[in-house]
Amino acid sequence: MKTKSIIKVALVISLLLPTAALAKVDLVTLPEQERVQLTIYNSADLTLARDMRKLTMREGENRLQFSWAGTLIDPTSLELLPRALDRDILVNDLLYPARVGGVGVWNVAASAAGPVPVEISYFTSGISWRAFYMATLSQDEASMELEGYVLVNNSSGEDYPNAETRLIVGKINLLDRVAELARRGDAPYGRPIGSRPMPQIQYEMENDEVAAPRAVAKMMMGRAAPKEIVKEGLSEYFLYTIEGTEEINDGWGKRLTSFSAESVPVESLYRYEPERYGEGVIRFISFANDTAHKLGGEPIPGGAVMVFRESGDDGALTFVGARETKYIPKEGEVNLNLGVTRDVRVKVTEMSSAKDGYEWNTYKQTGRKYIEGHMDVLSYKVEVENLRGQRSTVEVRRNLGWNFWDVASAGDYGKYEKVDADTIQYTLNMAPGEKKTFEYTARLRRGTLAK
Amino acid sequence: MKKLLPSFLAALMVLALTSGASARTKLTALPERESVTIRLDNPDATLIEEERVLTLQAGENLVDFSWRGVSVNPDSIRFKVLSHPEAVTLLSVSYPPGEAALIWRINAAAPLEERVRISYLLRDIDRLVAYRAVADKAETTLDITGLGVLRNFSGEDFDGALISLDGGALMTTPSISGETRRAVLFRANDVPMAKTLLWDSNNLPWEPEREESDVSIPVYYEFINTPDAGLGQGSLWEGKMRIFQDDGYDATIFLGEDNVDFTPPGAKMRVKIGFSRDVKVTKKRIGYEELNHRPSRKDPVLRDRVERFTFRVENFKDTPVALEIVEHPSGDWEVTEANVKWERKSSSELVLYVALGPGEKRELAYSNLTRDIWNR
Repeated sequence: MKTKSIIKVALVISLLLPTAALAKVDLVTLPEQERVQLTIYNSADLTLARDMRKLTMREGENRLQFSWAGTLIDPTSLELLPRALDRDILVNDLLYPARVGGVGVWNVAASAAGPVPVEISYFTSGISWRAFYMATLSQDEASMELEGYVLVNNSSGEDYPNAETRLIVGKINLLDRVAELARRGDAPYGRPIGSRPMPQIQYEMENDEVAAPRAVAKMMMGRAAPKEIVKEGLSEYFLYTIEGTEEINDGWGKRLTSFSAESVPVESLYRYEPERYGEGVIRFISFANDTAHKLGGEPIPGGAVMVFRESGDDGALTFVGARETKYIPKEGEVNLNLGVTRDVRVKVTEMSSAKDGYEWNTYKQTGRKYIEGHMDVLSYKVEVENLRGQRSTVEVRRNLGWNFWDVASAGDYGKYEKVDADTIQYTLNMAPGEKKTFEYTARLRRGTLAK
Repeated sequence: MKKLLPSFLAALMVLALTSGASARTKLTALPERESVTIRLDNPDATLIEEERVLTLQAGENLVDFSWRGVSVNPDSIRFKVLSHPEAVTLLSVSYPPGEAALIWRINAAAPLEERVRISYLLRDIDRLVAYRAVADKAETTLDITGLGVLRNFSGEDFDGALISLDGGALMTTPSISGETRRAVLFRANDVPMAKTLLWDSNNLPWEPEREESDVSIPVYYEFINTPDAGLGQGSLWEGKMRIFQDDGYDATIFLGEDNVDFTPPGAKMRVKIGFSRDVKVTKKRIGYEELNHRPSRKDPVLRDRVERFTFRVENFKDTPVALEIVEHPSGDWEVTEANVKWERKSSSELVLYVALGPGEKRELAYSNLTRDIWNR
């Protein structure tokens, strides 16, 4: 069984005592944790913990000792913020004692004696969250029910029995992994380059506290109604605040419902582009994160989407597939890739490959002729077949691989568009069981014709 | 728990005769340090300056300076007479063989109590500078706290040292070997700042829609190191800056961190905080044309070409966005037409400046003429 770790805060009397005598100081109070707030990031293994406590300070110099042995706290992130407004509290410095890991001592000057609410904040590793989704398509595949979940896991080594829990959707810039910073031991900011390691000594904490037993029962208890998650944009991120407090103990995970939307209209989209997807046709479910699709309240974080389809009136389901979705901003469109399908077939056949439109020139010195321009004329037949029982949109994208061209299309090709300098696309709307055939001829202008 | 360096002044020997003659020596008590200053101005080397009071006799005196268990650069050791510079002269410095020591030969005009300053570079003690900044909820100002971190792994304990940075006193504190101490260097509140998204065509995919994973645009905070902004007292050293934001509920969220560059007064500091996924840039090259296209097997001819690029920029946020699009043309290029404000930053950098309102989507385009020759 894992050794229990614990965060301890002690206010100690150490007036005028030298630093070296730290281990001998008297312990005055071991204040209780009043409130804990966890802000958990999903783009990095990082949680910002804010720990609110009330300390009783003496007038003058005070030393506040904070220890976190066995946890995954980044010591360089430690901050002490006095919340008192009625007197001057000055945090002079933070000392990481020699040859001791997991201990920090703040030197704090107080203008008057008395209780002071303080906030201790730090980064910890080992708490994570992720989003995942369940989509249930209707039988006609025209709509779906979409349920979003968040799963919070705690392997930080520390219990958080009564934590206000907030989740950040977004990607932060992080230079160092918190878990690695947490393992730096007695050199939280590292050592000067080339310095020698020093032997560790055992640091003695007075009045060691016994960890509270893990409150398993509370973790397992249900609630009368699912908790609400309040969502709000901050900077480039989104903040999810879970209603009330949560018990997030070490080793446990907790799943919460983030949102649920019924009858979200969806379109089935099929794409054929061998250069990107290989020779198969790829199926997508398309919708938008907006009010027209009964969504759009907030961005949808990236995560796994498990797609099911109702297969009968008795509520039976079939599993269609699972894919990761990217982050979907508000008003953003989604094309959820469900992989290769056999329900729609696209076959492209090269029908001819010819040269035409020669431009000749003559060498002045020899009088010999040479070809300085021509066209490659390539003709293709495209056959598209919708084997599904539902209407489908099929996109056939063709990469020409050349910048100077013109294209002539014939047959039932739907909508034609130039995507960029060397790419074209045909979009076909296919009825159930329908088969369409069209041809196109690309004339690629080479040499002096390349203009 | 004093350690090794107090043995620095291992012995103070006072000689009545020159050191070459049969000596009448007298060993005096080791003088304690009167004061010590740890100077951290240079990020690569730490200078220790300590003052002690020597009892000198008239004539020549030998002062033996040795060290053990610490790493002193012997070439850096300096000796300065403070009390009676006119009466005390440093005659020579000798290095005994095979020892971490040196001997000063000093002449005193009369018996003196002499305050001297000994300076040397000591290894394995240095400092870092770090910053903690909190942005307001509207992201218009920053409260910046500069932090100095003293890392002493030198093997030497200092009882009460003056820690100095940039010529100013940071704090007076004991420093035990093996400990790290962090103190506030400065606080500057309400520093005006701007937020910019930077889309670089060399680093980000042109068509994010076609990517399997999220494409996000780097986000930067910028502010100027000026007195108007509550800064400007000196240069801001390079170091790690962690940025938080007031969430409006008497708490903060962590926005991100970056290593900031050394920033002199008046210069701009740019800090990368994170990435935006709510702004999308889709770039396409929609046109390519060659002018004067006359390929010849003989003579070089002009081969000018015009490329046309479009950018679809979409802001999915309900707040405005300042976006910079960085392009990297090469050769002899010139923007011939653009529907967006642009600037030529260098021969290989063209920046398009885009301001997007909440939810705004825009189509930008520019054409680029590159002059070249067809030389074959």
